[in-house]
Amino acid sequence: MEKFFPWDVSVIFTKFPTFLHAALITLQITTSGILVGLIAGFVFALLKISYNKPLKAIASTYIFVVRGTPLLLQLFIIYYGLTTVVAIPPFPSAIIALGFHNGAYIAEIFRGSIESIPVGQMEAARSIGMSYRKAMQRIILPQAFKRAIPPLGNQFIIALKDSSLASTIAVPELLLRGRQLGSSSFKYMEMLVIVAVYYLLLTTLLHFILNKIDKKLTSGKRKARKIW
Amino acid sequence: MVRVENIQKHFGSLKVLKGIDLDIQEKEIVVIIGPSGSGKSTLLRCINFLEMPDKGKVFINQHEVKTNNHDINGLRARVGMVFQHFHLFPHMTVLENVMEGPVQVKKIAKNKARKAAAELLEKVGLSDKADEYPEMLSGGQKQRVAIARSLAMEPEVILFDEPTSALDPELVGEVIDVIDDLAREGMTMAIVTHEIWFARKVAHKVIVMDEGKIIEQGPPEQVFDNPTHPRTQQFLKQVFNE
Ligand SMILES: Nc1ncnc2c1ncn2[C@@H]1O[C@H](COP(=O)(O)OP(=O)(O)OP(=O)(O)O)[C@@H](O)[C@H]1O
Ligand SMILES: [Mg+2]
Repeated sequence: MEKFFPWDVSVIFTKFPTFLHAALITLQITTSGILVGLIAGFVFALLKISYNKPLKAIASTYIFVVRGTPLLLQLFIIYYGLTTVVAIPPFPSAIIALGFHNGAYIAEIFRGSIESIPVGQMEAARSIGMSYRKAMQRIILPQAFKRAIPPLGNQFIIALKDSSLASTIAVPELLLRGRQLGSSSFKYMEMLVIVAVYYLLLTTLLHFILNKIDKKLTSGKRKARKIW
Repeated sequence: MVRVENIQKHFGSLKVLKGIDLDIQEKEIVVIIGPSGSGKSTLLRCINFLEMPDKGKVFINQHEVKTNNHDINGLRARVGMVFQHFHLFPHMTVLENVMEGPVQVKKIAKNKARKAAAELLEKVGLSDKADEYPEMLSGGQKQRVAIARSLAMEPEVILFDEPTSALDPELVGEVIDVIDDLAREGMTMAIVTHEIWFARKVAHKVIVMDEGKIIEQGPPEQVFDNPTHPRTQQFLKQVFNE
Protein backbone atom coordinates (compact mmCIF):
# COMPACT_ATOMS: atom_id res chain seq x y z
CA MET A 1 0.00 0.00 0.00
CA GLU A 2 2.72 2.39 1.08
CA LYS A 3 4.35 1.96 -2.31
CA PHE A 4 1.33 3.05 -4.32
CA PHE A 5 0.22 5.77 -1.98
CA PRO A 6 3.25 7.25 -0.29
CA TRP A 7 1.48 10.20 1.34
CA ASP A 8 0.07 10.68 4.80
CA VAL A 9 -3.45 12.00 4.39
CA SER A 10 -4.10 12.42 8.10
CA VAL A 11 -1.32 15.01 8.33
CA ILE A 12 -3.28 17.19 5.92
CA PHE A 13 -6.09 17.37 8.46
CA THR A 14 -3.99 17.71 11.58
CA LYS A 15 -1.71 20.39 10.16
CA PHE A 16 -4.42 22.29 8.33
CA PRO A 17 -5.18 24.73 11.20
CA THR A 18 -1.51 25.67 11.61
CA PHE A 19 -1.66 27.48 8.25
CA LEU A 20 -4.32 29.89 9.39
CA HIS A 21 -1.91 32.64 10.32
CA ALA A 22 -0.12 32.32 6.96
CA ALA A 23 -3.46 32.49 5.17
CA LEU A 24 -4.24 35.72 6.96
CA ILE A 25 -0.93 37.14 5.79
CA THR A 26 -1.73 36.09 2.21
CA LEU A 27 -5.08 37.82 2.59
CA GLN A 28 -3.41 40.93 3.99
CA ILE A 29 -0.87 41.23 1.19
CA THR A 30 -3.59 40.63 -1.37
CA THR A 31 -6.13 43.11 -0.05
CA SER A 32 -3.49 45.79 0.59
CA GLY A 33 -2.00 45.16 -2.84
CA ILE A 34 -5.41 45.40 -4.47
CA LEU A 35 -6.14 48.62 -2.60
CA VAL A 36 -2.87 50.18 -3.77
CA GLY A 37 -3.59 48.78 -7.23
CA LEU A 38 -7.07 50.32 -7.33
CA ILE A 39 -5.77 53.73 -6.36
CA ALA A 40 -2.80 53.59 -8.73
CA GLY A 41 -5.00 52.13 -11.46
CA PHE A 42 -7.61 54.84 -11.11
CA VAL A 43 -5.06 57.66 -11.13
CA PHE A 44 -3.12 56.27 -14.09
CA ALA A 45 -6.31 55.57 -16.03
CA LEU A 46 -7.32 59.23 -15.67
CA LEU A 47 -3.84 60.32 -16.73
CA LYS A 48 -3.97 58.00 -19.70
CA ILE A 49 -7.24 59.46 -21.00
CA SER A 50 -6.29 63.07 -20.21
CA TYR A 51 -5.43 65.56 -22.92
CA ASN A 52 -2.19 66.46 -21.20
CA LYS A 53 0.60 64.90 -23.29
CA PRO A 54 3.31 64.58 -20.60
CA LEU A 55 0.88 63.06 -18.09
CA LYS A 56 -0.36 60.70 -20.74
CA ALA A 57 3.22 59.69 -21.53
CA ILE A 58 3.95 59.01 -17.86
CA ALA A 59 0.92 56.75 -17.62
CA SER A 60 1.76 54.92 -20.84
CA THR A 61 5.35 54.33 -19.72
CA TYR A 62 4.26 52.98 -16.36
CA ILE A 63 1.80 50.60 -17.96
CA PHE A 64 4.33 49.56 -20.62
CA VAL A 65 7.11 48.81 -18.13
CA VAL A 66 4.95 47.03 -15.57
CA ARG A 67 3.09 44.86 -18.05
CA GLY A 68 6.22 44.01 -19.98
CA THR A 69 8.25 42.66 -17.05
CA PRO A 70 7.62 39.79 -14.63
CA LEU A 71 6.11 40.51 -11.25
CA LEU A 72 8.90 38.49 -9.64
CA LEU A 73 11.46 40.85 -11.15
CA GLN A 74 9.50 43.87 -9.94
CA LEU A 75 9.40 42.38 -6.47
CA PHE A 76 13.17 41.81 -6.49
CA ILE A 77 13.82 45.33 -7.72
CA ILE A 78 11.84 46.78 -4.84
CA TYR A 79 13.21 44.42 -2.18
CA TYR A 80 16.82 43.84 -3.30
CA GLY A 81 17.40 46.52 -5.92
CA LEU A 82 16.40 49.46 -3.79
CA THR A 83 18.26 48.36 -0.61
CA THR A 84 21.15 50.71 -1.35
CA VAL A 85 18.72 53.63 -1.38
CA VAL A 86 16.06 52.54 1.06
CA ALA A 87 15.71 49.16 2.73
CA ILE A 88 12.06 48.16 2.59
CA PRO A 89 11.09 45.16 4.75
CA PRO A 90 9.62 42.11 3.01
CA PHE A 91 5.98 42.66 3.92
CA PRO A 92 5.65 46.25 2.59
CA SER A 93 7.86 45.32 -0.38
CA ALA A 94 5.37 42.65 -1.35
CA ILE A 95 2.45 45.07 -1.03
CA ILE A 96 4.17 47.77 -3.08
CA ALA A 97 5.15 45.33 -5.82
CA LEU A 98 1.74 43.68 -5.95
CA GLY A 99 0.03 47.07 -5.79
CA PHE A 100 1.92 48.74 -8.59
CA HIS A 101 1.90 45.61 -10.70
CA ASN A 102 -1.87 45.34 -10.46
CA GLY A 103 -2.19 49.10 -10.82
CA ALA A 104 -1.04 48.85 -14.43
CA TYR A 105 -3.61 46.17 -15.26
CA ILE A 106 -6.34 47.94 -13.33
CA ALA A 107 -5.52 51.21 -15.11
CA GLU A 108 -6.14 49.45 -18.41
CA ILE A 109 -9.38 47.96 -17.08
CA PHE A 110 -10.61 51.39 -15.97
CA ARG A 111 -9.47 53.06 -19.18
CA GLY A 112 -11.27 50.44 -21.24
CA SER A 113 -14.47 50.76 -19.25
CA ILE A 114 -14.40 54.56 -19.37
CA GLU A 115 -13.84 54.51 -23.12
CA SER A 116 -16.64 52.01 -23.56
CA ILE A 117 -19.18 54.58 -22.36
CA PRO A 118 -20.79 56.06 -25.49
CA VAL A 119 -19.56 59.57 -26.30
CA GLY A 120 -23.20 60.71 -26.29
CA GLN A 121 -23.19 60.41 -22.50
CA MET A 122 -20.44 62.98 -22.15
CA GLU A 123 -22.14 65.20 -24.73
CA ALA A 124 -25.49 65.01 -22.96
CA ALA A 125 -23.83 65.85 -19.64
CA ARG A 126 -21.89 68.75 -21.11
CA SER A 127 -24.96 70.02 -22.96
CA ILE A 128 -26.78 70.59 -19.67
CA GLY A 129 -23.86 72.73 -18.58
CA MET A 130 -21.75 70.28 -16.57
CA SER A 131 -18.01 70.79 -16.47
CA TYR A 132 -15.77 67.96 -17.72
CA ARG A 133 -14.94 67.09 -14.13
CA LYS A 134 -18.54 67.01 -13.00
CA ALA A 135 -19.59 64.99 -16.04
CA MET A 136 -16.87 62.47 -15.24
CA GLN A 137 -17.91 62.26 -11.58
CA ARG A 138 -21.62 62.07 -12.06
CA ILE A 139 -22.16 60.46 -15.44
CA ILE A 140 -19.14 58.65 -16.87
CA LEU A 141 -17.34 57.11 -13.89
CA PRO A 142 -20.40 55.58 -12.18
CA GLN A 143 -21.24 53.77 -15.41
CA ALA A 144 -17.62 52.87 -16.07
CA PHE A 145 -17.11 51.40 -12.58
CA LYS A 146 -20.04 49.08 -13.06
CA ARG A 147 -18.61 47.81 -16.30
CA ALA A 148 -15.19 47.39 -14.70
CA ILE A 149 -16.39 45.04 -11.99
CA PRO A 150 -16.21 41.71 -13.86
CA PRO A 151 -12.68 42.28 -15.20
CA LEU A 152 -11.61 43.70 -11.83
CA GLY A 153 -12.84 40.52 -10.20
CA ASN A 154 -10.60 38.44 -12.46
CA GLN A 155 -7.70 40.71 -11.66
CA PHE A 156 -8.27 40.35 -7.92
CA ILE A 157 -8.15 36.57 -8.23
CA ILE A 158 -4.90 36.81 -10.18
CA ALA A 159 -3.55 39.13 -7.48
CA LEU A 160 -4.46 36.63 -4.78
CA LYS A 161 -2.52 33.87 -6.52
CA ASP A 162 0.37 36.18 -7.42
CA SER A 163 0.79 37.08 -3.76
CA SER A 164 2.50 33.68 -3.41
CA LEU A 165 5.58 35.24 -5.02
CA ALA A 166 6.11 37.07 -1.75
CA SER A 167 7.38 33.73 -0.41
CA THR A 168 10.60 34.38 -2.33
CA ILE A 169 11.43 37.37 -0.14
CA ALA A 170 10.57 35.59 3.10
CA VAL A 171 7.08 36.92 3.73
CA PRO A 172 5.55 34.17 5.89
CA GLU A 173 2.50 33.68 3.70
CA LEU A 174 0.83 30.45 2.62
CA LEU A 175 3.35 29.12 0.13
CA LEU A 176 6.37 29.84 2.30
CA ARG A 177 4.64 28.19 5.25
CA GLY A 178 3.98 25.13 3.11
CA ARG A 179 7.58 24.91 1.93
CA GLN A 180 8.97 25.36 5.43
CA LEU A 181 6.77 22.73 7.03
CA GLY A 182 7.37 20.50 4.04
CA SER A 183 11.12 20.57 4.35
CA SER A 184 11.15 20.23 8.13
CA SER A 185 8.72 17.29 8.15
CA PHE A 186 9.68 15.73 4.79
CA LYS A 187 5.97 15.72 4.00
CA TYR A 188 6.17 18.14 1.09
CA MET A 189 3.16 16.96 -0.85
CA GLU A 190 0.88 16.98 2.18
CA MET A 191 1.85 20.54 3.06
CA LEU A 192 1.49 21.75 -0.51
CA VAL A 193 -1.96 20.16 -0.71
CA ILE A 194 -2.93 22.16 2.37
CA VAL A 195 -1.66 25.30 0.65
CA ALA A 196 -3.70 24.43 -2.45
CA VAL A 197 -6.85 23.94 -0.39
CA TYR A 198 -6.36 27.31 1.29
CA TYR A 199 -5.96 29.03 -2.06
CA LEU A 200 -9.07 27.31 -3.39
CA LEU A 201 -11.03 28.41 -0.34
CA LEU A 202 -9.85 31.98 -0.75
CA THR A 203 -10.50 32.17 -4.51
CA THR A 204 -13.93 30.60 -4.01
CA LEU A 205 -14.72 33.14 -1.32
CA LEU A 206 -13.61 35.93 -3.61
CA HIS A 207 -15.70 34.57 -6.49
CA PHE A 208 -18.68 34.40 -4.16
CA ILE A 209 -18.28 38.00 -3.02
CA LEU A 210 -17.79 39.25 -6.58
CA ASN A 211 -20.88 37.41 -7.77
CA LYS A 212 -22.89 38.96 -4.97
CA ILE A 213 -21.74 42.45 -5.97
CA ASP A 214 -22.43 41.77 -9.62
CA LYS A 215 -25.92 40.48 -8.84
CA LYS A 216 -26.66 43.49 -6.72
CA LEU A 217 -25.60 45.91 -9.45
CA THR A 218 -27.55 44.21 -12.18
CA SER A 219 -30.66 43.45 -10.17
CA GLY A 220 -33.83 44.83 -11.68
CA LYS A 221 -32.07 45.17 -15.02
CA ARG A 222 -32.69 43.04 -18.03
CA LYS A 223 -30.20 40.25 -18.30
CA ALA A 224 -29.19 37.96 -21.08
CA ARG A 225 -31.14 34.78 -20.76
CA LYS A 226 -31.95 31.72 -22.73
CA ILE A 227 -34.60 32.46 -25.29
CA TRP A 228 -36.54 29.70 -26.97
CA MET B 1 -31.63 85.66 -28.85
CA VAL B 2 -29.01 83.34 -30.39
CA ARG B 3 -27.01 84.50 -33.34
CA VAL B 4 -24.14 82.84 -35.14
CA GLU B 5 -21.85 84.61 -37.52
CA ASN B 6 -19.79 83.06 -40.27
CA ILE B 7 -19.45 79.62 -38.61
CA GLN B 8 -16.96 77.43 -40.37
CA LYS B 9 -15.97 73.88 -39.54
CA HIS B 10 -13.99 71.20 -41.27
CA PHE B 11 -13.18 67.59 -40.44
CA GLY B 12 -9.90 66.66 -42.06
CA SER B 13 -10.14 67.76 -45.67
CA LEU B 14 -13.93 67.89 -45.59
CA LYS B 15 -15.40 71.37 -45.25
CA VAL B 16 -18.66 70.71 -43.43
CA LEU B 17 -19.73 74.28 -42.69
CA LYS B 18 -18.72 76.99 -45.10
CA GLY B 19 -19.68 80.14 -43.29
CA ILE B 20 -23.14 79.99 -41.72
CA ASP B 21 -25.02 83.02 -40.43
CA LEU B 22 -28.12 82.39 -38.43
CA ASP B 23 -30.25 84.50 -36.17
CA ILE B 24 -32.84 82.96 -33.87
CA GLN B 25 -35.18 85.57 -32.43
CA GLU B 26 -36.98 85.24 -29.13
CA LYS B 27 -39.99 82.89 -29.42
CA GLU B 28 -38.99 82.05 -32.95
CA ILE B 29 -39.05 78.50 -34.26
CA VAL B 30 -36.44 77.83 -36.88
CA VAL B 31 -36.58 74.54 -38.73
CA ILE B 32 -33.46 73.37 -40.52
CA ILE B 33 -33.76 70.88 -43.35
CA GLY B 34 -31.40 69.56 -45.96
CA PRO B 35 -29.92 66.35 -47.34
CA SER B 36 -27.88 63.95 -45.24
CA GLY B 37 -24.34 65.20 -44.72
CA SER B 38 -25.20 68.82 -45.45
CA GLY B 39 -23.96 69.86 -41.99
CA LYS B 40 -27.20 70.32 -40.02
CA SER B 41 -26.07 68.43 -36.95
CA THR B 42 -22.65 70.02 -37.08
CA LEU B 43 -24.26 73.46 -37.13
CA LEU B 44 -26.35 72.72 -34.03
CA ARG B 45 -23.34 71.21 -32.31
CA CYS B 46 -21.26 74.28 -33.11
CA ILE B 47 -23.90 76.53 -31.54
CA ASN B 48 -23.34 74.97 -28.13
CA PHE B 49 -19.69 74.11 -28.78
CA LEU B 50 -20.00 70.33 -28.74
CA GLU B 51 -17.94 70.91 -31.86
CA MET B 52 -15.48 73.76 -31.68
CA PRO B 53 -16.02 75.93 -34.76
CA ASP B 54 -12.85 76.72 -36.72
CA LYS B 55 -14.06 80.22 -37.28
CA GLY B 56 -17.06 82.36 -36.50
CA LYS B 57 -18.83 83.75 -33.48
CA VAL B 58 -21.77 82.72 -31.33
CA PHE B 59 -23.79 85.39 -29.53
CA ILE B 60 -26.41 84.89 -26.88
CA ASN B 61 -28.48 87.97 -26.11
CA GLN B 62 -25.90 90.11 -27.89
CA HIS B 63 -23.05 88.77 -25.76
CA GLU B 64 -20.33 87.00 -27.65
CA VAL B 65 -19.56 83.57 -26.19
CA LYS B 66 -15.82 83.32 -25.72
CA THR B 67 -14.22 79.93 -26.01
CA ASN B 68 -13.42 79.46 -22.34
CA ASN B 69 -14.98 77.00 -19.90
CA HIS B 70 -16.90 79.66 -18.05
CA ASP B 71 -18.60 81.10 -21.12
CA ILE B 72 -19.23 77.77 -22.78
CA ASN B 73 -20.70 76.09 -19.68
CA GLY B 74 -22.80 79.19 -19.13
CA LEU B 75 -24.06 79.07 -22.70
CA ARG B 76 -24.88 75.38 -22.44
CA ALA B 77 -26.93 75.90 -19.32
CA ARG B 78 -29.04 78.38 -21.29
CA VAL B 79 -29.19 76.54 -24.61
CA GLY B 80 -30.80 73.12 -24.33
CA MET B 81 -30.01 70.25 -26.67
CA VAL B 82 -32.11 67.24 -27.58
CA PHE B 83 -30.34 64.46 -29.45
CA GLN B 84 -31.53 62.00 -32.03
CA HIS B 85 -30.50 59.11 -29.78
CA PHE B 86 -31.73 60.65 -26.50
CA HIS B 87 -28.57 59.93 -24.46
CA LEU B 88 -30.43 59.53 -21.20
CA PHE B 89 -28.25 58.64 -18.22
CA PRO B 90 -28.87 54.90 -17.83
CA HIS B 91 -27.68 54.68 -14.23
CA MET B 92 -30.29 57.17 -13.03
CA THR B 93 -34.05 56.92 -12.81
CA VAL B 94 -36.19 59.05 -15.09
CA LEU B 95 -36.75 61.55 -12.28
CA GLU B 96 -33.03 61.67 -11.45
CA ASN B 97 -32.23 62.28 -15.11
CA VAL B 98 -34.44 65.34 -15.08
CA MET B 99 -33.14 66.58 -11.70
CA GLU B 100 -29.47 66.14 -12.52
CA GLY B 101 -28.86 69.44 -14.29
CA PRO B 102 -30.71 71.66 -11.82
CA VAL B 103 -29.07 70.00 -8.80
CA GLN B 104 -25.54 69.66 -10.14
CA VAL B 105 -25.25 72.71 -12.37
CA LYS B 106 -27.70 75.20 -10.95
CA LYS B 107 -27.18 74.03 -7.36
CA ILE B 108 -30.89 73.96 -6.68
CA ALA B 109 -31.95 72.18 -3.48
CA LYS B 110 -32.84 68.54 -4.06
CA ASN B 111 -36.42 68.61 -2.84
CA LYS B 112 -37.15 71.70 -4.89
CA ALA B 113 -35.56 70.16 -7.97
CA ARG B 114 -37.48 66.94 -7.41
CA LYS B 115 -40.75 68.82 -7.34
CA ALA B 116 -39.92 70.74 -10.49
CA ALA B 117 -38.79 67.54 -12.23
CA ALA B 118 -42.03 65.81 -11.29
CA GLU B 119 -43.98 68.68 -12.81
CA LEU B 120 -41.98 68.47 -16.02
CA LEU B 121 -42.60 64.73 -16.22
CA GLU B 122 -46.28 65.41 -15.86
CA LYS B 123 -46.04 67.93 -18.66
CA VAL B 124 -44.52 65.34 -21.00
CA GLY B 125 -47.01 62.73 -19.78
CA LEU B 126 -44.61 60.46 -17.96
CA SER B 127 -45.43 60.91 -14.28
CA ASP B 128 -45.97 57.18 -13.93
CA LYS B 129 -42.45 56.44 -15.15
CA ALA B 130 -40.61 58.72 -12.70
CA ASP B 131 -38.94 55.87 -10.83
CA GLU B 132 -38.19 53.64 -13.82
CA TYR B 133 -34.77 53.35 -15.38
CA PRO B 134 -34.46 54.57 -18.97
CA GLU B 135 -33.92 51.11 -20.43
CA MET B 136 -37.48 50.20 -19.49
CA LEU B 137 -38.91 52.98 -21.68
CA SER B 138 -39.90 53.03 -25.33
CA GLY B 139 -38.04 55.34 -27.70
CA GLY B 140 -40.81 57.90 -27.66
CA GLN B 141 -40.86 57.91 -23.87
CA LYS B 142 -37.08 58.24 -23.74
CA GLN B 143 -37.18 61.24 -26.01
CA ARG B 144 -39.87 62.87 -23.92
CA VAL B 145 -37.69 62.38 -20.82
CA ALA B 146 -34.77 63.90 -22.73
CA ILE B 147 -36.92 66.92 -23.52
CA ALA B 148 -37.93 67.20 -19.86
CA ARG B 149 -34.27 66.94 -18.86
CA SER B 150 -33.46 69.79 -21.17
CA LEU B 151 -36.43 71.87 -19.99
CA ALA B 152 -35.37 71.41 -16.37
CA MET B 153 -32.49 73.80 -16.99
CA GLU B 154 -35.04 76.44 -18.02
CA PRO B 155 -33.20 77.10 -21.25
CA GLU B 156 -33.85 80.16 -23.34
CA VAL B 157 -33.47 78.15 -26.53
CA ILE B 158 -33.64 74.43 -27.27
CA LEU B 159 -31.83 72.82 -30.17
CA PHE B 160 -33.42 69.62 -31.48
CA ASP B 161 -31.33 67.38 -33.71
CA GLU B 162 -33.73 65.06 -35.53
CA PRO B 163 -35.67 64.27 -32.34
CA THR B 164 -37.93 61.74 -34.05
CA SER B 165 -35.60 60.08 -36.56
CA ALA B 166 -34.66 57.20 -34.28
CA LEU B 167 -38.26 56.39 -33.44
CA ASP B 168 -40.67 53.83 -34.79
CA PRO B 169 -43.27 55.65 -36.90
CA GLU B 170 -46.06 55.08 -34.40
CA LEU B 171 -44.02 56.81 -31.67
CA VAL B 172 -43.23 59.96 -33.63
CA GLY B 173 -46.53 61.60 -32.78
CA GLU B 174 -46.13 61.62 -29.00
CA VAL B 175 -42.79 63.42 -29.27
CA ILE B 176 -44.05 65.86 -31.86
CA ASP B 177 -46.99 66.66 -29.56
CA VAL B 178 -44.62 67.64 -26.77
CA ILE B 179 -42.60 69.89 -29.08
CA ASP B 180 -45.83 71.32 -30.42
CA ASP B 181 -46.89 72.22 -26.86
CA LEU B 182 -43.59 74.00 -26.36
CA ALA B 183 -44.14 75.88 -29.60
CA ARG B 184 -47.50 77.06 -28.36
CA GLU B 185 -45.97 78.21 -25.09
CA GLY B 186 -43.58 80.39 -27.05
CA MET B 187 -40.38 78.41 -26.52
CA THR B 188 -37.55 79.49 -28.79
CA MET B 189 -36.35 76.48 -30.78
CA ALA B 190 -34.15 75.36 -33.62
CA ILE B 191 -35.26 72.02 -34.97
CA VAL B 192 -33.53 69.79 -37.49
CA THR B 193 -36.15 67.44 -38.85
CA HIS B 194 -37.29 65.48 -41.86
CA GLU B 195 -40.95 65.76 -40.80
CA ILE B 196 -41.96 68.36 -43.39
CA TRP B 197 -45.61 68.41 -42.30
CA PHE B 198 -44.51 69.30 -38.80
CA ALA B 199 -42.09 71.94 -40.06
CA ARG B 200 -44.84 73.49 -42.08
CA LYS B 201 -47.06 73.59 -39.02
CA VAL B 202 -44.73 75.09 -36.41
CA ALA B 203 -41.88 76.83 -38.25
CA HIS B 204 -41.62 80.57 -38.44
CA LYS B 205 -38.56 80.26 -40.59
CA VAL B 206 -37.25 77.34 -42.62
CA ILE B 207 -33.56 77.07 -43.42
CA VAL B 208 -32.38 74.80 -46.20
CA MET B 209 -28.79 73.61 -45.97
CA ASP B 210 -26.75 71.95 -48.67
CA GLU B 211 -23.05 71.13 -48.65
CA GLY B 212 -22.30 73.32 -45.67
CA LYS B 213 -24.17 76.38 -46.83
CA ILE B 214 -27.60 77.87 -46.35
CA ILE B 215 -29.04 77.83 -49.84
CA GLU B 216 -32.50 79.07 -49.08
CA GLN B 217 -34.52 80.43 -46.19
CA GLY B 218 -37.91 81.94 -45.55
CA PRO B 219 -41.35 81.24 -44.12
CA PRO B 220 -42.53 77.66 -44.60
CA GLU B 221 -45.13 78.46 -47.26
CA GLN B 222 -42.49 80.08 -49.39
CA VAL B 223 -39.78 77.44 -48.96
CA PHE B 224 -42.06 74.42 -49.24
CA ASP B 225 -44.51 75.67 -51.87
CA ASN B 226 -42.31 77.88 -54.01
CA PRO B 227 -38.71 76.82 -53.50
CA THR B 228 -36.37 78.83 -55.68
CA HIS B 229 -33.17 76.85 -55.45
CA PRO B 230 -33.09 73.74 -57.66
CA ARG B 231 -31.38 71.75 -54.87
CA THR B 232 -34.27 72.58 -52.54
CA GLN B 233 -36.78 71.45 -55.15
CA GLN B 234 -34.84 68.23 -55.63
CA PHE B 235 -34.55 67.62 -51.88
CA LEU B 236 -38.25 68.22 -51.22
CA LYS B 237 -39.21 65.91 -54.04
CA GLN B 238 -37.04 63.21 -52.52
CA VAL B 239 -38.58 63.66 -49.07
CA PHE B 240 -42.12 63.54 -50.40
CA ASN B 241 -41.44 60.45 -52.41
CA GLU B 242 -40.41 58.53 -49.28
N1 LIG C 1 -16.74 64.16 -35.80
C1 LIG C 1 -16.67 64.06 -37.14
N2 LIG C 1 -15.52 63.65 -37.73
C2 LIG C 1 -15.43 63.55 -39.06
N3 LIG C 1 -16.44 63.84 -39.91
C3 LIG C 1 -17.61 64.25 -39.40
C4 LIG C 1 -17.78 64.37 -37.98
N4 LIG C 1 -19.03 64.80 -37.75
C5 LIG C 1 -19.61 64.93 -38.96
N5 LIG C 1 -18.75 64.60 -39.95
C6 LIG C 1 -19.04 64.65 -41.39
O1 LIG C 1 -19.51 65.95 -41.67
C7 LIG C 1 -20.54 65.89 -42.64
C8 LIG C 1 -21.75 66.61 -42.12
O2 LIG C 1 -22.26 65.88 -41.03
P1 LIG C 1 -23.58 66.27 -40.25
O3 LIG C 1 -23.80 65.21 -39.23
O4 LIG C 1 -23.48 67.67 -39.77
O5 LIG C 1 -24.67 66.19 -41.39
P2 LIG C 1 -26.24 66.21 -41.25
O6 LIG C 1 -26.71 67.27 -42.17
O7 LIG C 1 -26.64 66.31 -39.84
O8 LIG C 1 -26.65 64.82 -41.85
P3 LIG C 1 -27.80 63.77 -41.37
O9 LIG C 1 -29.08 64.23 -41.99
O10 LIG C 1 -27.34 62.48 -41.95
O11 LIG C 1 -27.82 63.77 -39.89
C9 LIG C 1 -20.79 64.45 -42.96
O12 LIG C 1 -20.12 64.14 -44.15
C10 LIG C 1 -20.14 63.72 -41.80
O13 LIG C 1 -19.64 62.48 -42.21
MG1 LIG D 1 -27.53 64.99 -38.44
